Amino acid sequence: MNYNLNDLQANAPKSSTWSSLGKLLKLIAHERKNLILALIAILVNSGLNLEGVLIMGRTIDKYIFVLHKNYHGVLINCSILLAMYLVALLSSYLQTILMGGVGQRMLFTLRNTIFNKLQLLPVGFFNQNKAGDLISRINNDTDKLNQFFSQSLMQFIGSIVTMTGAGIYLLSINIKLGAATLVPAVVILVFTSLTSAWVKSKNARNLKSVGGMSAEIQESLNNFKVIIAFNRRDYFRKKFDEANKQNYNTAIGAGIANNTYVPVYGLFSSLAQLVVLSYGIYLISAGQFGMGLLVSYLAYSNLFYNPLRQLAALWASFQTAMASWDRISHILALDTDLVIVEGTDTAPSKSLLEFRNVHFSYDDSKEILHNISFKLERGKTYALVGPTGGGKTTTASLIARLYDAGKGTVLLDGRDIRTYGPIERTKKIGFILQEPFLFTGTVRENILYSNELYVNHSNEQLEQVIVEANLGSLLAIFEKGLDTEVLSGGDSISLGQKQLIAFMRAVLRNPELLILDEATANIDTVTEKLLSDILNKLPATTTRVIIAHRLNTIENADEIFFVNSGEVILAGSFDHAMDMLLHGKRVS
Amino acid sequence: MKQAGNKPKQPGIFSLLKPYTGLVTLLILFALFSNSANLWLPKIISHGIDDYIHSRLGHTKFNVNPTIIKFSLAVLFIFIFAYLQSIIQTYTSEKVARDLRTRLSDKISRQSNAFIQEVNPSKLLTNLTADVDSIKLFVSQALVSIVSSVFTIVGASILLLTINWKLALCIIAIIPIIGGTFFWVLRKVRVLFIKSRGVIDWLNKVINESILGSALIRVINSQQLEFDKFLKANTEARDIGLSILRLFAGLIPVITFTANMATLSILALGGHFVINNTMSLGDFAAFNSYLSQLIFPILVIGFMSNIIAQATASFQRINSVLEATDTSETGTVIETLRGEIELKDVSIIYGQRPALKHISFAVKAGSKIAVIGPTAAGKSQLLFLLTGLIKPNEGTILFDGRNIDDYDSESFHSQVGFVFQDSIIFNMSIRENIAFSDTVTDESLEKAINTAELRDFVDALPDQLSTIVSERGASLSGGQKQRIMLARALAINPKVLLLDDFTARVDTGTENKILANVQQNYPGLTLISVTQKIASVEHYDKIILLMEGEIIASGTHDELMHSSPEYVQIFNSQQSTSNYELQSK
Repeated sequence: MNYNLNDLQANAPKSSTWSSLGKLLKLIAHERKNLILALIAILVNSGLNLEGVLIMGRTIDKYIFVLHKNYHGVLINCSILLAMYLVALLSSYLQTILMGGVGQRMLFTLRNTIFNKLQLLPVGFFNQNKAGDLISRINNDTDKLNQFFSQSLMQFIGSIVTMTGAGIYLLSINIKLGAATLVPAVVILVFTSLTSAWVKSKNARNLKSVGGMSAEIQESLNNFKVIIAFNRRDYFRKKFDEANKQNYNTAIGAGIANNTYVPVYGLFSSLAQLVVLSYGIYLISAGQFGMGLLVSYLAYSNLFYNPLRQLAALWASFQTAMASWDRISHILALDTDLVIVEGTDTAPSKSLLEFRNVHFSYDDSKEILHNISFKLERGKTYALVGPTGGGKTTTASLIARLYDAGKGTVLLDGRDIRTYGPIERTKKIGFILQEPFLFTGTVRENILYSNELYVNHSNEQLEQVIVEANLGSLLAIFEKGLDTEVLSGGDSISLGQKQLIAFMRAVLRNPELLILDEATANIDTVTEKLLSDILNKLPATTTRVIIAHRLNTIENADEIFFVNSGEVILAGSFDHAMDMLLHGKRVS
Repeated sequence: MKQAGNKPKQPGIFSLLKPYTGLVTLLILFALFSNSANLWLPKIISHGIDDYIHSRLGHTKFNVNPTIIKFSLAVLFIFIFAYLQSIIQTYTSEKVARDLRTRLSDKISRQSNAFIQEVNPSKLLTNLTADVDSIKLFVSQALVSIVSSVFTIVGASILLLTINWKLALCIIAIIPIIGGTFFWVLRKVRVLFIKSRGVIDWLNKVINESILGSALIRVINSQQLEFDKFLKANTEARDIGLSILRLFAGLIPVITFTANMATLSILALGGHFVINNTMSLGDFAAFNSYLSQLIFPILVIGFMSNIIAQATASFQRINSVLEATDTSETGTVIETLRGEIELKDVSIIYGQRPALKHISFAVKAGSKIAVIGPTAAGKSQLLFLLTGLIKPNEGTILFDGRNIDDYDSESFHSQVGFVFQDSIIFNMSIRENIAFSDTVTDESLEKAINTAELRDFVDALPDQLSTIVSERGASLSGGQKQRIMLARALAINPKVLLLDDFTARVDTGTENKILANVQQNYPGLTLISVTQKIASVEHYDKIILLMEGEIIASGTHDELMHSSPEYVQIFNSQQSTSNYELQSK
């Protein structure tokens, strides 16, 4: 399965702004009631404001700019207007609160959907995309959506309604003058539709170079010690300068594209005023139009073109938001390739775990495991040994179903592993990863991570549990015990200590099958001895799979598998395994 | 400008614009050009209307052409300058952003590793991206908008006053009302904005950790837990968003209503003046146009003051990095190292906790030293000290009898090779990863590759040395990464080689071969190896046992076996298998 977002993006058909919008609207189908109420408020509000302009024009034509001037009439109309404006005060409030509420909740749903999808995708997705790039993509793009939905959405919709309303008034009062006033708008529309794809692609390119730049910075800063130790401060500068320069160029491209709209819209809205003025006066002299209405028309043309001008500014942010949404929807469109299947016709197995003729490759090009078959029995300790790059971690990843076998079957507790739900499967299998990961928080939070059993235990109770699980000696290594703080990225804690926390975390979950992938590589031998004692004291039914090349870690193994060149061979006794390891053929 | 005056003590954000005075002046000038023409438009219309009424009353033929020509010229003028302004705006803001990023990266590249870790790489990333962006926004939007807005408000007010001062005063009265309400609400909103920024950081942290810890989450099936964490942050973000919304929901109707009241007074009062013939209908129309021109700029100033506040905060954050003192490079010695090392009473203290306590030992040139000790004993810190990546709080470190600080750091680093414990592979070709220092010759590259037993591996790659490895070396195994790192350290032809737990991810057979290769290809090399495995260092000239930041014992393997119970304990814990390995040699 290809999860590389850059590839997917390049191959995906270009989707239009509107189809992106359509996909987005599907997310808020449940908000229909609020949307309708908001729409009513918007319509009332715009209607009142637009009608006010007409009343004003009529007042001029009827009471002010006539032979029989009537100030009393003016005052009556003024009172009507006042009443209308008071109602508009309320409807305007409702419009904002309802529409804005929909926007905020939509953003909320959207963020949840994205995050949920990230949780559903398999490990392969994260291995195929640069972490820095992925983080920047998601943070940046959700931020762009955030900006649009929190700041621009209401203005955006309000502008559209006011503009439409003004257009209707213009056309219904006098169709000829109305149509003439709207001609420049048609030109704007054509101009916009011609340029929108260009603007969108410029913005997309800019977003991409921003992502590239943050990935660059992250990589260099996180590895700054190497840069210093090898005298390559210039490397950091050079790489950054390249990214910076590229970003500068794409940003100027995007900026110029985004900024074209404002002056062009301004030009045509002014031309519309000119049309009203010259054609209006012509119509007045022909006796077809009133002077007061001309004043109204100038106002209407403003009410039509000002929102349009705002839309021009908002359009860019709308398109940026849609470009971001487009990139995000590439992620949302992905599905996990690790689906749970209904019962398969695989012959059952009596072992806790069995590999049957398993083949595997990460990206279809190079097969990593060739036709592997082996069995793991309950309560025994197994060791996977072999040179680096031989396929040990890959084998373990298949046991934990981080990946599915290309060909062949992995059976867990007698059944095809693919028939298990994730809760059941992960309860059976504990996996201490080669690269331990800690969350920001405390040691306690990390040990109890996703462990419901002891959540409500006080520190004393938990310490009791830890001692009973024979883990007390490990906890003692941490200065402040359970309350030792883990800072972001876990740099405050050494790699060996991280491995200890990962070890405690896995053991407290009490799995049936515990995999240790080089889990003690950075732990000193005294502590390692402790770990080995703890492993021996695990319940008799627990099966242990130890991956190591440090031989002392495997001396207690009941059986040893030799993993090399994508093959897993039962090596039998310890001595036999040693012999194979020391004299065996090496691919490295 | 008003905003700049608020905080006179800070190195104001406007100081940033000094090198771009020419561009900024041009920018403001163009904005003023197009704005003044914009102010003239209602005048032209009102004259047109009045001329028409006069001609109709006088029964002369009305000529509409002069109005059209004047109007068209003004419109064209506005367009040209608005367009030029938008282009200069983009160039100026991007230039400021680019130069600022360059200055920052220059500054960062001159800093010590300790500085980077202390300031925190992700904070620096924010400085280089989000903070620079908010300054960019300030240059591209705030500056011009505020100048234009103030100009429009003042200009429109003056024009209104010259037309009819009584009516004008009614209209101008709305400026403080709208402005006052607006600033009052904005002040409240700003507090919420700061809060919402914090929540967004929180959201991003949850996202980041869920990406970096994706494998663990899937092994434990804690997706729901992560989602709950995210939901909590996201709910908070939504609630703050809704609070901000409620404030705006109150503000917008007030502004519209006030503006509508102004319209009403134009109709009531202006209508009265027109009926009395003290004001022309054209002027009446002009009042309406100016009113619509007035409101928007008031709001713009409010919004822009927000942008300025954000940009000022960003600028201060950036400035604190730019103004950090440079690491002082006092060393000048560029002599070739022999490889003699001595530590005298060296201590390192983090907070209150000492990581290394009074460490003293000496290493003869060309000898092989092992440092053995439990997890978190301070072994890596010791190696960081020897490369000058960190400085001791107490004591001195001597290379060939000279203080490490006396050496020119470039010359020093080109003679000391360091293989880090964690795999650090850059997103570039294998060749560049190994020949990372720019002084590496093809010959020394070859020698390094062969010594690190990478020859077969490299030859099996599709593009050999030119193969690009991805970030964090995801496509390589742990051992391959370690050996690439070793080759990187060897490629500079070091006089001193420091290995940090090199044996952890490389199997014993390969390790032995590699160490034999090092012996043969780099004679005279001083080797200091931090390790957990006694077997591979038993024959070293000296073994130092480090525990809890203290040297417990040091000597040859045989000496330690007789003198140090801790050493014997470690040795015994590795015994059963070590024996086996020894026999096989």
